[in-house]
Amino acid sequence: MVIHVAPKELKNDFWKSKDIKISFGEIIHDGEDSEEKESELEMGPTPKPSVTDLRSWDMKLLDRYEPFYAPFCDMCCLCTYGKCDLTDGKKGACGIDIKAQQARIVLLACCIGAAAHSAHARHLLEHLIEKKGEDFPIDLGMNIEIEAPIIRTVIGIIPKTLGDLREAMDYMEEQNLHLLSACHTGQEGSNIDFESKALHAGLMDNLGKEIGDISQIVALNLPKGDEDAPLVELGMGTINREKPVVLCIGHNVSSGAGILDYVENNALEDNMEVCGICCAAIDISRYNQHAKVVGPISKQLKFIRSGVADVIVVDEQCIRTDVLEEAHKNQAKLIATTDKSCMGLPDMTNEDPDKIVSQLVNNQIEGALILDPDKVGEVATKVALKISKDRKTLKILPEMDEIQEMASECTECGWCTRVCPNSLPMMSAVLEAGKGDFSKMEELNNNDICYSCGRCEQECERDLPIMSMMARIGENKIKEQKFNIRAGRGPIQDVEIRKVGAPIVLGDIPGVIAFVGCTNYPDGASDVARMAEEFLERNYIVVTSGCGAMSIGEYRDEEGKTLYEKYSGDFDAKGLVNVGSCVSNAHIPGACIKIANIFAKKPLEGNFEEIADYILNRVGACGVAWGAYSQKAAAIATGINRWGIPVVLGPHGTKYRRLFLGRTDLEEKWKINDMRNGTVVQGEPAPEHLLYAAENREEATVAVAKLCLRPNDTSKGRQLKLNHYIDLHRKYFGTIPEDVYKFIRVEKDIPITYKKDIKAILDERGWLPKKITSEPSIRDFKDQSSPENFKNKSHPKADAK
Amino acid sequence: MYERIIPWQPTAIAGPKQALLVTPKTAKMMIKRAKRPLFVVGPIIKEDPLLKLTIDIAKKWNIPIVTTGDAYKTLRDREMDSNPYGIVEITNLLKDPEWKGVNGEGQHDLVMFIGCIYYIASQGLSTLKHFAPHLKTLTICKFFHSNADASFPNMKDEEWLNYLEKMKTA
Repeated sequence: MVIHVAPKELKNDFWKSKDIKISFGEIIHDGEDSEEKESELEMGPTPKPSVTDLRSWDMKLLDRYEPFYAPFCDMCCLCTYGKCDLTDGKKGACGIDIKAQQARIVLLACCIGAAAHSAHARHLLEHLIEKKGEDFPIDLGMNIEIEAPIIRTVIGIIPKTLGDLREAMDYMEEQNLHLLSACHTGQEGSNIDFESKALHAGLMDNLGKEIGDISQIVALNLPKGDEDAPLVELGMGTINREKPVVLCIGHNVSSGAGILDYVENNALEDNMEVCGICCAAIDISRYNQHAKVVGPISKQLKFIRSGVADVIVVDEQCIRTDVLEEAHKNQAKLIATTDKSCMGLPDMTNEDPDKIVSQLVNNQIEGALILDPDKVGEVATKVALKISKDRKTLKILPEMDEIQEMASECTECGWCTRVCPNSLPMMSAVLEAGKGDFSKMEELNNNDICYSCGRCEQECERDLPIMSMMARIGENKIKEQKFNIRAGRGPIQDVEIRKVGAPIVLGDIPGVIAFVGCTNYPDGASDVARMAEEFLERNYIVVTSGCGAMSIGEYRDEEGKTLYEKYSGDFDAKGLVNVGSCVSNAHIPGACIKIANIFAKKPLEGNFEEIADYILNRVGACGVAWGAYSQKAAAIATGINRWGIPVVLGPHGTKYRRLFLGRTDLEEKWKINDMRNGTVVQGEPAPEHLLYAAENREEATVAVAKLCLRPNDTSKGRQLKLNHYIDLHRKYFGTIPEDVYKFIRVEKDIPITYKKDIKAILDERGWLPKKITSEPSIRDFKDQSSPENFKNKSHPKADAK
Repeated sequence: MYERIIPWQPTAIAGPKQALLVTPKTAKMMIKRAKRPLFVVGPIIKEDPLLKLTIDIAKKWNIPIVTTGDAYKTLRDREMDSNPYGIVEITNLLKDPEWKGVNGEGQHDLVMFIGCIYYIASQGLSTLKHFAPHLKTLTICKFFHSNADASFPNMKDEEWLNYLEKMKTA
């Protein structure tokens, strides 16, 4: 391996890496660097793949992991022929059947998700180019040479500047347009082709996220793969309520950065609080440590109802669409900041900031749409400073005796429980509160078991303000709501990949588990933290992002430590790596791609299928989106799946309508090609599923351990992985799993601790040893026998686009 | 009466095809007529009297059990044998007419559910409603499941336990 050593200082860890040869004869100057590398670029077969270019790969995945449909609706109501009844094999007026209709809705969800991430990325990119210039360099520091693994693999370019990212953005937008068009009535008719398109939409989502996060990391100087990123305050109890408070909700860092800049430039850091909910919180805390993280999306209604925020600044995605109404209830001021959610407010972008402040403070406007992040910073800060003092005297939440009185009016109709997404015993809690016992409501509030969607309140025939009651009861323990989270570090360093690539691929590190996504949890946020803790204790690498990362931070172990205090931020065994916000999810497949490139030396550019095949068969990674609710989460999971990474969803995930499930009883589905010797061999069901939904934490934990098995595991690695799978199965199911024989290839695979028991199972099953595949692959032999694919320095399609 | 036969979570309603409301008497008739019934027991069944009633019903009708979530351990602790599957896994197998069933004797023709989380059960029942015309589904939870072929109504605990008691007899 030859490293082009640029004349800059390298971090100490770099020199600890193994298998590096350094050629000092190739020391080059900055200016020559890019030309040298461009000329060395080998383009693979699919740069800028069209909607159908990766279809053959999708078909291989979909043949093994067939779509499983759980229709959420029996009808189609997308055109005026309908509604069409699709039950009992009936087709709609357009000819569509129930499977294709489900797949169509999944594609639509993935397109929406991909559009949300990439429109966010486009906004950021253009805003940052306007601020920094299109020649602003993409420099992620000395330990990250592969700056954009997804862009390299999918687009086939090495972006050097912010302006270079436009090429990837243009491509992504075009693809999403084609994909969305396929959802129109009378277009695609095959469920499998809809699924192939959904996988493409997921890949576009990955691309959009990578563009978004790289843009903000380099231009706003967010942490660049820093494993020692600082711990940031997290929790509703960390906000000083005596100070003016500005709350940011959403995902786009621009307006939050504008607020923090204004506060800093005017030396107001000690005079006010700037905090956030959802990914906006993560990204503003990556930008400036003065920012605080209130918590994940589940805190949104609770915190707004608490009245602590004087000014609420919303940007985009996952904000409550009734936020204006909620702000009005406690005289907070709302500022909308993006074209995605104008909230019906007057556009004040071109007005004088002091005039906007005056109109907001004097209630002449009910809120303001301001599309200039710097102006948002000034207005939000000034308004908060002006109204805070008066607002502190407002009585916003009911007192405890009032709660008791209101609760005693409950008619016991029970509809609050029936409309609750988790059927929580809300009516019982209200009834008890009516008797002066608030403990049940407190239990529901703790750990976000109730994630405050507010549906119960809508249904109450007595119009009881159940969410406000809950918010008030929660305040009794507000001082305990003080936690921390490691600031989102962004990408994984190349040097870290060099260190862990071999242990991951060979199975010595049992797996990389990524806890991502939203807070639609079946039984509270602590489930996510407990799963993370379980795998950290077992030497897995745990990666996290977004609301999942915040939920993990809200948990303390028996010693009272948060998991971020207890575990390092290294991408290594026992490391807890917060990559950042939703868009930072791109670094998770990014790390797997880097393993294929850095450890296995697979070329990236335009070489999607080989990289995905490598990840599917060799990289024991598994995603967990325990509370996934959004279309973005659908796109994230589907995109991850296309790279060959399995994902486990919580039970609400079945409402996405589609999973990708393997069938372990059908041996022919698990034939695998050994590229070393050109033979087809009987493989094992590893990974068993590509997109799975578990009913509870216990089932999910065992499933995740099993989904880290890969055909490429060495016997030592397989032993280790099986040991964890069996341990967890014993813990949660009480027995050694009966299917363990399916994963024993040779006797050396048997974990020593369980040798006797497993041998008994093997004997009972008539088990015979089989050959371990040297180079497992699901690609056709012909796909890999055309080296000319990798010799084209500039692929015609890359030139054309 | 109306509130007894709309889905327990009302927005789980999927369309024009709704479950038949059944009493224990009809439910038992369905079991008697079935050649290869299966009993799916979910993780909500944790404690007596529900746990005991569930085991008694399984024993009375001698129906093989599939446990979902972590219910396998709950039943095992009561020395009741079962086959652990994820609810989506067993649903995936049940929709395949060629699957040989949990005992390898052939696909099941009746699947009776109890104790699965309502909304994931509703989704699984939807899968079977659309893609498993070769079998019937019956739910004996205390919630009306409109995606099943046949379901108990929405009930309060006392009435439900009474229904389950009746399921223990022929």
